[in-house]
Amino acid sequence: MSVSPQVRKVLLPIFRKNVSHIIVDLKDVPYIDSSGIATFVESLQLSRKSDIRFSLAGACQRVESIFDLAHLKSIFEMAPDATALIDGEPAR
Amino acid sequence: MGGAGFSGPVILEAPSDPAVLSAVRALTDKICLAAGVDPAESDKLVLAVDEACTNVIRHGYCDRLDGRIKISFTVEGDRLEIEIRDFGRGADPATFRGRDLGEVRPGGLGMHFIRSAVDTMEYDWKPGGGMVLKMVKFISKQEKA
Repeated sequence: MSVSPQVRKVLLPIFRKNVSHIIVDLKDVPYIDSSGIATFVESLQLSRKSDIRFSLAGACQRVESIFDLAHLKSIFEMAPDATALIDGEPAR
Repeated sequence: MGGAGFSGPVILEAPSDPAVLSAVRALTDKICLAAGVDPAESDKLVLAVDEACTNVIRHGYCDRLDGRIKISFTVEGDRLEIEIRDFGRGADPATFRGRDLGEVRPGGLGMHFIRSAVDTMEYDWKPGGGMVLKMVKFISKQEKA
């Protein structure tokens, strides 16, 4: 609850930029609550509207299980680490 | 001592400040584990307590930081009872009702997380103001072993 407004403030404006893929690296995030998840759901909706790929990477088991509890794990593109997603990007 | 539970209630009292929620989560985890709750179930209880405190801060205290939240943990046999008491404006729990999980939209997950973690839950208004959320989790024999 204390961090998600800051994440939202940083993340949402990126969707207005000329980008094709946004990856959020969660490797240093030990915990997420409903307001954190809401920020990512809002991001996902923006990504669909703006045709920008949106991925979450490096979520620990605890964070992943909270997405699972919310029935949202399959809705998001989730990867074990950000590097694999970046390496898989076509050169621009 | 681990898994044996504890005698008498353990009581935490915290301000209605989101900055203290990480400490509340850490203590909740330790208390649930000491009560004999399985680590995966303890994670869910931590989330439930966190979401309940968030509801208190948002709806009970309207984001004021100077309110008080009292969290008590009591073990009786295989029953862990967690009570979250506030002294705020006594919001209607219907206003923080959960959403249909089939919908993909922001918000409405807090109550779902609370219900998923516990066996029973009930809200009550207290005379003189505020509310209490009583949550009960039955600790299975397997968890206690």
